[in-house]
Amino acid sequence: MNMAKQSRLQQILAKGHFAVTAECGPPRGANGEVIRQKGRLLKGYVDAVNVTDNQTAIVRMSSIAACVHLRQMGLEPIMQLVTRDRNRIALQSDIMGAYSLDINNILCLSGDHQTFGSQPEALNVYDIDSVQLLHMVRGLRDEGKDMSGFELDTPPRMFIGAAANPFADPLEYRAVRLAKKVEAGADFIQTQCIYNLPRFKEWVRMAREEGLTEKVHILGGVTPLKSARMAEYMAKSVPGIDIPDSIIERLKSAPKGKAAEEGLNICMETIDELRQIQGVHGVHIMAIENEGKVAEIVGAAGLMPRPEFS
Amino acid sequence: MRNDFKPIITMFHCANALKGDISPAFPENELEIRSVRLPCSSMVKDVYLLRAYEDGADAVVVLTCPEGECRYIDGNIRAGKRVKRLQALLDEIGLGGQRLSLFSISPNDDDAIGQIIRKTAADLVDLGPNPAMK
Amino acid sequence: MIVGEQKTLKEIKHMVAQYPKLLILGCGTCVKTCFAGGEDEVATLASALRLAFKKEGKQLEIQELTVERQCEDEFIQEAAEAVARNDAVLSLACGAGVQDIARRFDRVPVLPGVNTTFIGVLEKPGLFTEECSSCGDCVLATFGAVCPITRCAKKLLNGPCGGSREGKCEINPDIDCAWQLIIERLQKLGQLDNLRKYVSARSWRSGNAVGPRKLLREDLVV
Repeated sequence: MNMAKQSRLQQILAKGHFAVTAECGPPRGANGEVIRQKGRLLKGYVDAVNVTDNQTAIVRMSSIAACVHLRQMGLEPIMQLVTRDRNRIALQSDIMGAYSLDINNILCLSGDHQTFGSQPEALNVYDIDSVQLLHMVRGLRDEGKDMSGFELDTPPRMFIGAAANPFADPLEYRAVRLAKKVEAGADFIQTQCIYNLPRFKEWVRMAREEGLTEKVHILGGVTPLKSARMAEYMAKSVPGIDIPDSIIERLKSAPKGKAAEEGLNICMETIDELRQIQGVHGVHIMAIENEGKVAEIVGAAGLMPRPEFS
Repeated sequence: MRNDFKPIITMFHCANALKGDISPAFPENELEIRSVRLPCSSMVKDVYLLRAYEDGADAVVVLTCPEGECRYIDGNIRAGKRVKRLQALLDEIGLGGQRLSLFSISPNDDDAIGQIIRKTAADLVDLGPNPAMK
Repeated sequence: MIVGEQKTLKEIKHMVAQYPKLLILGCGTCVKTCFAGGEDEVATLASALRLAFKKEGKQLEIQELTVERQCEDEFIQEAAEAVARNDAVLSLACGAGVQDIARRFDRVPVLPGVNTTFIGVLEKPGLFTEECSSCGDCVLATFGAVCPITRCAKKLLNGPCGGSREGKCEINPDIDCAWQLIIERLQKLGQLDNLRKYVSARSWRSGNAVGPRKLLREDLVV
């Protein structure tokens, strides 16, 4: 019988701690050492680590494999799973496999379209969407049945997450969408990175009004900006990112060579604010290909040491 | 440059642009002008233009009314779009889009027509005869 | 209508070059309405091919014929005589028509001159847009008659995703976000609550994923 541990992330949130998660991407190749090196940079500074699933539709080592590498080092992985590349048969299969390998956190996503990626000629799948995936994982866990109603020998007891974008269009509909994800099975939510705090607070308020902050743990996303140019690029090219002019100004006005430092300051201020918003239970630090910064951010934000459990 | 090259230019024109036949002064032994009269220049269907080349035209000219003066409101605009599309097709065929051109003229402007014919004939000196007519 | 686009002259030339006598067969229904393969397009293509081959010193004999439809034998058989007189047929019908011609006249190569693209509408003069992917189990009633399966690039049934920007799809700013359209339509209809309901995973068994489909109407079989 599978004696997988209960999700550490789940325990931390259940106990009311302000959780810290980070993200890392698997390598574009078969070298496990690359992911283990990232793991070493994060170990001890975060409660759990998201492992992306062919993010931006660029072919990389699979999320499940990279999660196993991290688990073997004693880290707590959150396996990201997109519905772009796998049908329901393959998804259910991977979820069961992951749980059998001691992975017990999952983030359910639709996934960036393949036209963005490294092999845009590929056929996509999108057999089910992210909300249906949430529903499916919860069914596997709570009813112990797969989508055909077949009773599993062991249910995968996943702690289930979903992504939310408080800054995407259309705004009025965002709370309805969040409600749907929570009702479908989301235990925790990680948001797109936050620069526009007033707008984010408004979204949390709407969520609170719908009663959602009682039902789901929200972790606010942050990404340190390195320069005004990075900020302008993101604001223009990445959908769902809202960077106020005041932030860009701060980066532009920073003394030469000090823009990255100012970016970190902005990140710290954001984390401070997040800790004070009712309904926000953690921070999700997305410093992709910059994992070394995570330790610095967590330390400077006063979030060390991370809670330990036996 | 061939000395015995007597260019054939087919001109499509609308009834409004030209009341009679094309009659500006040009040397008849040096080139041949064929004219095709249409109710509106927008009637220049792809196949009519292409058949002009099949019938031996070295160059084809479409005459339209100036912008804003088409009796059928936007016929001259449609003609422009069709000509542009056909120029690309002529490139694909290998005849060259330069063998097709469009000009707006005021009604019955013999001088303008004469200039257009002289210009087209001059272009043909470089372009040479229709390569599908060997 | 079924929308298609004529193949490039280069591709067509390559396909037909080896046949001294070619029949270009047009279709008077869908491909006529999207200006890809009707009578006019047959005439233009024939002329273009003759010119292009003549330029290379080749003489191709081209016959031009258009029938009402190439997906029904009643009309296909009208082409029998013309097909018999030629070495190959270049059909400008949609993919279904090309295959139906080939089925009936199977001793002669039947080649496609058109790329069949989608089931769509003429949204405004000159603009054809894809609206239906013939999924076999229409759910337009739930979504205010905007199809998320066809018009959402991710086929989301509980959309939108986080990528739409100013009402446009993240993959192409020329494409409307289908979910933006659905939300606006349902707002107009006073049916926005439709979207609070969870839409469960779809069965794709009515679609082409199960293989080529058939419709048999016994009452029409004599």
